[in-house]
Amino acid sequence: MKNLVIVLVFLSFTLNVFSQAKKPTIMIVPSDVWCNNNGYMMEFDNQGKAVKIPDYKKALQSNTDLLLVISKINELMAERGFPLKNLESAIKTLEGESAEDAMLTSKSGNGVSESPIDKLKKTAKADIWMQLTWSINATGPKKSITFNLQGLDAYTDKQVSGASGTGQPSFTAELPVLLEEAVLSHIDNFNSQLQKHFDDLFANGREIIVRIKKFDSFDGDLESEYEGEELGTIIENWISANTVQGRFNTTDATENMMLFEQVRIPLFDDKNKAVDARGWLKGLQKTLKDKYTIDSKLMMKGLGQAQLVIGEK
Amino acid sequence: MKNYKNLFLGFLLMLTPMLSFAQKKKADKETAQWRYEIEAAGVGTQGTYQIKVWSYSKDANTAIEQAKKNAVHGIIFRGFPAKDRVPAQKPLAQSPNLEQEKEGFFKDFFATGGKYLKFVSLSNNGNIAPEDRIKIGKEYKIGVVISVNQALLRKDLEDAGIIKGLSNGF
Repeated sequence: MKNLVIVLVFLSFTLNVFSQAKKPTIMIVPSDVWCNNNGYMMEFDNQGKAVKIPDYKKALQSNTDLLLVISKINELMAERGFPLKNLESAIKTLEGESAEDAMLTSKSGNGVSESPIDKLKKTAKADIWMQLTWSINATGPKKSITFNLQGLDAYTDKQVSGASGTGQPSFTAELPVLLEEAVLSHIDNFNSQLQKHFDDLFANGREIIVRIKKFDSFDGDLESEYEGEELGTIIENWISANTVQGRFNTTDATENMMLFEQVRIPLFDDKNKAVDARGWLKGLQKTLKDKYTIDSKLMMKGLGQAQLVIGEK
Repeated sequence: MKNYKNLFLGFLLMLTPMLSFAQKKKADKETAQWRYEIEAAGVGTQGTYQIKVWSYSKDANTAIEQAKKNAVHGIIFRGFPAKDRVPAQKPLAQSPNLEQEKEGFFKDFFATGGKYLKFVSLSNNGNIAPEDRIKIGKEYKIGVVISVNQALLRKDLEDAGIIKGLSNGF
């Protein structure tokens, strides 16, 4: 009897854990325009073309105002029960991990496996970016701040939240005071929109992007027929049957690739387990394997982007 | 003669709490109509909104008493528009029908001496600027600057399950 009670308590705890949806991570980054205006850019040569990218590390190491704004927003978000990922810490972790991987060997002297894709994926990640821009306006001795905070979905490229405006001009207030005031003025409106985005996510499912590709080695393409139906159509039908209210867009479709956008996936599977894009697309991978003996390789990017490459693992 | 004087004083002492009670009753009655205007008065300190609430009443003191209740009501259900570069703020309530949906909760919350008092404080010790005391016909329109601790108010409503928190469901 005692054991039965323990099992029931454990089971209810497990179900409770599973009934929580996967929480998106949010990270604040200075916008490209802010980095450019303040001289925190790196320039490199990309096949003869000069490309400028923001140098976050330099910005974080040299600009105390940026640190103040990030820390203030982090503090306010933590107060709202939604602590953010810290950009500076994420960069340090990545550097530490790279150094460790370079030194790590097994007892027999083997190093850690790393494909070019793995290397490419070693960047600071978040599901939602809070992109920060401010500029200082001066009219004679009066100063004011124009502040812009954008919440960008890392996968759908949609702006899911935002708050912007110009604060009151002041003769005496110092820049950090004006910046703090700007954060306090705008953060609640930003969160209010973010809340709406989350409400939409719970009501209509998580919005993701799905890419289907094929390896050269695959004998056939997405127009090849299986049981009288084209492979592309089989995939489309599976997506339609497994999305919330069949909501998705086929943005691109050729014999070699398909791109599905605004794909609304349920937050939980039929076992009430929280799912993300990868977990959800595993269903298609399994269907292709079990029903049509087609192997495929499943790759992911965070909670909201997954790619299935057909042909082999 | 002295006995009469004492009796009169005793009667006056008895009357004072009754008058105060009557004033509160009047405030409640007039507040039930939720007739007020709300505007930004400045950027508050962290977690607070500084607002000016314009309340209407035939009695100036009643209007001041109402202002506290109206301020909390406004932050929960109405929000306020932008003014002098202080940005507009949306209400804490995510649903426009929240007041009706949770009628029982808000009846107790806004009762005389109710929980709403925990979240408000009067600025300038409740002193009203002459230009904020306007007589319109038979009643007064009184503007009171109030600081509302919206962070605490939001937390309280979230804990009571009245509104959802950002991490709700995750």
